[in-house]
Amino acid sequence: MAEQHGDQGTRRGKVASFLLDDHRYVFLGTSVLALIGVWMHGKTPSAFSVLGKVPILDTLLFGICCAWLAVSAVALITKLARWNSYQTTWAKRPQVVHASRIGSYVAWAAAILLFIDRAILGFCALVSEATAASSNPQTFLGGAAYMVSQSLPMYAQGITTTISLAVFGTIIAFFFAVVLVFLRIQEPDRSDNDFVRFLKKVGSGFAFLYSTIIRGTPMMVQGLIIYSGGFMIFRNMGYSVSETRQIWSYFVAGLVIVTVNSTAYIMEALRGGIEAVDPGQAEAARSLGLSQWMAMMHVVFPQGVRNAIPALSNEMIMNIKDSSVLSVVGVFDLMFATTTVAGIYYRQMELYVVAALIYLIITFIATRLLNMLSKKLGAQEVSELPANPTE
Amino acid sequence: MADNGPLIRVEELVKSFGSNVVLRGINLSVESGEVVTIIGASGSGKSTLLRCINLLEIPDSGHVWFHGEDLVEPKTNVDALRENIGMVFQQFNLFANMNVLDNCTLAPVLLKKMGKEEAKKVAISHLESVGLSDFIYANVNSLSGGQKQRVAIARALCMNPEIMLFDEPTSALDPEIVGEVLNVMRRLAEEGMTMVVVTHEMAFARDVCDRVVFMDSGVILEQGTPAQLFQNPRETRTREFLSRYLDPED
Repeated sequence: MAEQHGDQGTRRGKVASFLLDDHRYVFLGTSVLALIGVWMHGKTPSAFSVLGKVPILDTLLFGICCAWLAVSAVALITKLARWNSYQTTWAKRPQVVHASRIGSYVAWAAAILLFIDRAILGFCALVSEATAASSNPQTFLGGAAYMVSQSLPMYAQGITTTISLAVFGTIIAFFFAVVLVFLRIQEPDRSDNDFVRFLKKVGSGFAFLYSTIIRGTPMMVQGLIIYSGGFMIFRNMGYSVSETRQIWSYFVAGLVIVTVNSTAYIMEALRGGIEAVDPGQAEAARSLGLSQWMAMMHVVFPQGVRNAIPALSNEMIMNIKDSSVLSVVGVFDLMFATTTVAGIYYRQMELYVVAALIYLIITFIATRLLNMLSKKLGAQEVSELPANPTE
Repeated sequence: MADNGPLIRVEELVKSFGSNVVLRGINLSVESGEVVTIIGASGSGKSTLLRCINLLEIPDSGHVWFHGEDLVEPKTNVDALRENIGMVFQQFNLFANMNVLDNCTLAPVLLKKMGKEEAKKVAISHLESVGLSDFIYANVNSLSGGQKQRVAIARALCMNPEIMLFDEPTSALDPEIVGEVLNVMRRLAEEGMTMVVVTHEMAFARDVCDRVVFMDSGVILEQGTPAQLFQNPRETRTREFLSRYLDPED
């Protein structure tokens, strides 16, 4: 933990140093910002724009950016002209260096104000205009904003379904995977009789077969088979179509599909984690008299799960994304919401980009959360570290 | 059991890994209270013999008698017999997911049906005897090699075994801290524990043990008291091996 803090400290230190200290990139770095300011000034002010209503301030900010660029250009020319003796020119005199640092903040402020005014307020204006519009705007952003704002409930439902499928699916799959991985890795012990040996072989074979089939077929195909298969089974049991639709709802079917699929992958992740545990751990447990099962439960498995944590959180992220194929079955996830809205307005591109963005945001947040969680689980050892001497 | 026979009797033990025959018919008995050291070059089969005694390696043929039961016989409940055979490994093999105390109490609580508090008391007394009472809640990964090995010894002692097997207990340690582990073993020997020690520590073999067994390429070439074996070895091979260890010291 201490090391990570230290690491973060030096990184923040580097950023702070770039922002606060005098260094040779002041001209170049600020010029990039100033150029953005100039570019923003060239855009027509939107309805929300403040600077558009105060042209003097607007021009002043533009002037500051231009002035910065001009000074930088002179400094650049000086440097090119006096390449070998640049250190002795006016641009390197301490007063100038310090003044340029302070001047750079003014240029930043100007550029940032211009950016907020034109880009951010402009975007807000566009969205508010589009949401209030009576028909679908033809522009890309406007259209996207209009269509999303008109279908918020659908998006809410889609996002909720996607997240709950991934979260619940992964958690349920974990418990099935634990059972399967025990079946998979068991080996005949010397004391086992023929019947136990046979059972162990059958269990291991079943787990192997399950993993091979599930990991060897696309999730979309599995989804279609499980959904229609489940439907058929309920119909054959004598339920009517509407009853079946109630029991075997799209969400339930989706959850079963995600669970069935994820179980195989999580099982393999656990198996990898368990096999990475030093065989000496099991040997030590057996040498004390623990049975194979006890050694697994108390010594090997807990370490194996810890080894598998990165792979497990990866599986959760995969499930967020992969549940999108369930939309072919009819599960109302984010992708289904997207295609539905796209169907209403006959506009695809904008909505697919919006869907990609939403998936990106969800997975980004989920990755952060899972990293925090796994650090906590992995750091359990460290937090126990301080020896607790009893008197 | 109070019979007069040896505590452990190994009979015609053969073990091979693939085509490599490691043990070629070993006969060895260990009396109760005896400290036996097995020495020999690397690859001579010392560790394999030790691991066969508690069946961590399954012999191809032969017998290992313990309390009148043959461990090699598939019907024998090896787990139950292992409770009485402590083992200490070269790489310590402390349970990495537990602290020092849990390492020591896991087996007694599970197998001896001891209460947690009682097991803790026993564990603390053994940890005190190896000089680690300040570390009972420490994480095992925070310990030094010598401390780890002493925890491993305490862990084995918590099962109150009749015999302790040591598989090169000091080979993974820095020379400076070998002493702290050897001292613990020396005291165990003085307290009358039956011990079989595979080691390269010739001084320990000479000073502490009752009998030294010299193994070479899968057979027991020679055995006897330390005095006999170290001062007057019968076999040329033994003399060769010992000269490499003893000459620099004398």
